Amino acid sequence: MAAATASRSGLRSALPLLAPAYLWLTVAIFLPLSAMVFFSFMTELPLSGKPWTFTLGNYAAFFSQSLYLTLLLASLRLGLEVTLWCIVIGYPAAYVLAKVLKGRSREAIFLLVILPFWSNGLVRIFSWAMVLREGGILDTALNAVLPFKINIDLMYSYPAVIIGLVHSYVPYMVLTCYLTLQAIDDSLIEAGRSLGASRLQVLKRVIIPLSMPGLVAGAALIFVPVVGSFMEPRILGGRTGTFYGTVIEDQFVAVFNWPLGAALSFILLAVVLVILAAASPVLKREA
Amino acid sequence: MAGVQVSNVSRSFGAHKALDDVSIDFADGGFYALLGPSGSGKTTLLRQIAGFDFPDSGRIAIGGESVERVPVEKRRIGMVFQNYALFPNMSVADNVAFGLSVRGEAKAVIAAEVQGALDLVQLGKLGGRRPHQLSGGQRQRVALARAIVTKPRVLLLDEPLGALDKALRVDMQIELKRIQREIGITTIFVTHDQEEALTMSDRIGILRDGRLVQEGPPEEIYDRPKSEFAATFLGDANIFRGDATGSGILLADGTAIAAGAGATLAAGAKASCAVRPERIRIATDAGVSNATDTNVLKGQVSKRIFAGNNSTYFVDRAGQTLKVIVQNTGIERLSEGQDVVLRWSPESTVLIAAS
Amino acid sequence: MATTRILEWLGRLYISVLLAFLYLPIIIMALMSFNVSPFYQLPFEWTTEWYASLWQNDQLIAATWNSVEIAVIATVICTVLGSAASLALYRYEFRGKKFLQALLFPPIAIPWLITGTAMLIFFFGVGIGRGLHAILLGHVALALPYVIVVVSARLQTFAPELEEAARSLGANQWQVTWRVTLPWIMPGVIAGGLFAFAVSFDQFVVSYFLATPGQTTLPVEIYAAIRKGFTPEINAVSTIIIVVSMALMLLTARFFKFGGEK
Repeated sequence: MAAATASRSGLRSALPLLAPAYLWLTVAIFLPLSAMVFFSFMTELPLSGKPWTFTLGNYAAFFSQSLYLTLLLASLRLGLEVTLWCIVIGYPAAYVLAKVLKGRSREAIFLLVILPFWSNGLVRIFSWAMVLREGGILDTALNAVLPFKINIDLMYSYPAVIIGLVHSYVPYMVLTCYLTLQAIDDSLIEAGRSLGASRLQVLKRVIIPLSMPGLVAGAALIFVPVVGSFMEPRILGGRTGTFYGTVIEDQFVAVFNWPLGAALSFILLAVVLVILAAASPVLKREA
Repeated sequence: MAGVQVSNVSRSFGAHKALDDVSIDFADGGFYALLGPSGSGKTTLLRQIAGFDFPDSGRIAIGGESVERVPVEKRRIGMVFQNYALFPNMSVADNVAFGLSVRGEAKAVIAAEVQGALDLVQLGKLGGRRPHQLSGGQRQRVALARAIVTKPRVLLLDEPLGALDKALRVDMQIELKRIQREIGITTIFVTHDQEEALTMSDRIGILRDGRLVQEGPPEEIYDRPKSEFAATFLGDANIFRGDATGSGILLADGTAIAAGAGATLAAGAKASCAVRPERIRIATDAGVSNATDTNVLKGQVSKRIFAGNNSTYFVDRAGQTLKVIVQNTGIERLSEGQDVVLRWSPESTVLIAAS
Repeated sequence: MATTRILEWLGRLYISVLLAFLYLPIIIMALMSFNVSPFYQLPFEWTTEWYASLWQNDQLIAATWNSVEIAVIATVICTVLGSAASLALYRYEFRGKKFLQALLFPPIAIPWLITGTAMLIFFFGVGIGRGLHAILLGHVALALPYVIVVVSARLQTFAPELEEAARSLGANQWQVTWRVTLPWIMPGVIAGGLFAFAVSFDQFVVSYFLATPGQTTLPVEIYAAIRKGFTPEINAVSTIIIVVSMALMLLTARFFKFGGEK
């Protein structure tokens, strides 16, 4: 298709249309990311008026103080747990949507499932505060049903952070898995069963391998932002909600050690890029 | 191997009766075509036999064993799908190995069986390829190899040649028939292509609106259709409608048409006669006659279509257009507008009771 | 068949539970914003006083207007720049095209925390500084890739022969673009614009790092309020936001099929 239009083409004709968008991205994304690398090797911000020199100290701080590494590992673990929960909860939902439900109800329910993802994340995290705190809805509802008295106070705890993040990101997993699952022809499932495979064997040997790109895309797109999350742990985690992301936030809005913040951000970026690079072969394979 | 018995099977989807009291006996080792227009229920019937769907009532037996409530994976059938349904995440060899592998066969056994099946479909060297690297005809062969490698009791084919172009389709028809003979498996073949059904199968079942219209060897259905639908769906036929006179019918304009000996209907009942276009002889004068061609009609050529080895004449007669196919032997060509005489024998005429 | 029916029933049940998980907290928050007790105590008593007191909160109202203004301007800029870039990427073949397309990925995939702090450092360093203009600069950059992806997806359904047919009928490049191509991709452009609005209006992280005390957006203001303590007023304004952003996405869905097929 593109080949037909290729002849009357070239970068010269494309440039006037492309330049504004890419200039904007350069100024607001690519230069800032480069600047961050640059600043992370400085002792002080040049604009602060104080004298500055190049240093590896900010990175040395990361590796010498076990706190940062511990927090990064805690954030990676948080990312892993949230991603796993999203797979466990989201994949079956995507499967039901793509292969069990039919017709108009499927479209409507699919839209309902992914709709929250595109609504305000901050507000959705906040809404859990109402549910999880002591004397909140979950507490009241359970005590109304159960014969004995229990105290449900999940607010400001690790589970609260997990619940909030899973709630935030599970629609992403449903979306990416649904897209690959609905592209799998039903006759492949029937072919598998006609060859003597049970439903479970077909799932394991045909459906899951074929939907791997969706699973990996969903996992990468959930894991990455969760590792860098700071607002969710702050609101739902309280004092237990100190993670790598919240430390970076602190460097910029509380401690004002921007070079250290830049170094911490850059280390996070490196981790993110490694993860995306690891995921990309699976994504390219079926694309 | 085993025969398949379908007895009084009905299946409705909502108000729509997809299958209505269908009974067919598929003999062991036979090649059976299910023929019908789209929506006739032929694919529904195949899926009932496969076990993708269960009948509302009736019985299905494979090799004498009742299977109508047995799920597909336990029926030991082989199926070839319209779009082949090869697993894109597996190599050709892994596709063929799938059925053996889910049964937990030993690796060495699987490898040998897979190679044998691929050799049978003449793809012995392509085991390492991926399905998307194959041509349409090759995919078809892989699908066939995958379906038969598990030694199923019956092979089900759902319009397997529909996606191939004409030349390849003819090749595959011959190939399919060869393989079926070689392993002698009971084969049920769904198609909407009457030519395919005629050339390939030992027996044909014609379905319409969920009912079995007629069933038998191709020659029998072609020569002795039991309904106007069977006559016109399998091959072409001229249909005359009138009142039965015992061994023929009387048309509205008083012309009598005689049917072959043996066929009789109570006089006075509504009936029709079917005549194949190639059984009618066409001539310009009334002089040349043959003692046995006692059915004679006069008409006028309204159109002639030349098709290389034969020509089709459309002849107008008393408000009806008749079709006559003549081999182009070079003797005579009739032009449009010419008055002609049509003759054919009662043996070429099938008497059909009005339905 | 019985198994299939049971599985289907279980599937529906499962989806219902998931939907409850997704929507219950939001519904509860909305209900509480109409509850008399400021400490979220039951029984529920209806009131709209929290919404009324929102009206009196000048800080919140100013932030709301900032959010709307920035979202509208960002939408206009993103739609124009994004559609132009999509057209160029669709129509022309040149070296480095794959690279340019790959460049759209980082703004979407890199966590906003990193992008936001990087913007803060860079804007501060080169003198752009912080404030509403910096927030706008950032929002456009974040939303632009979404617009390009959505419009490009729509362009993929466009047959190049249509452009060629129009040219064979004597239309020049501009006429072809205005009268054939743009009308066709319009649903994509509108969907892209709504996306851009949503990305900007709901954006918190990047705004948070670029805001200054006088110049903030609504989500930043809400975050500050939440950290001070929960009040029914936050419930009220949050309810309004969630209703607006969900309505926006429903509108977007009319123009753009997320599900791909049909």
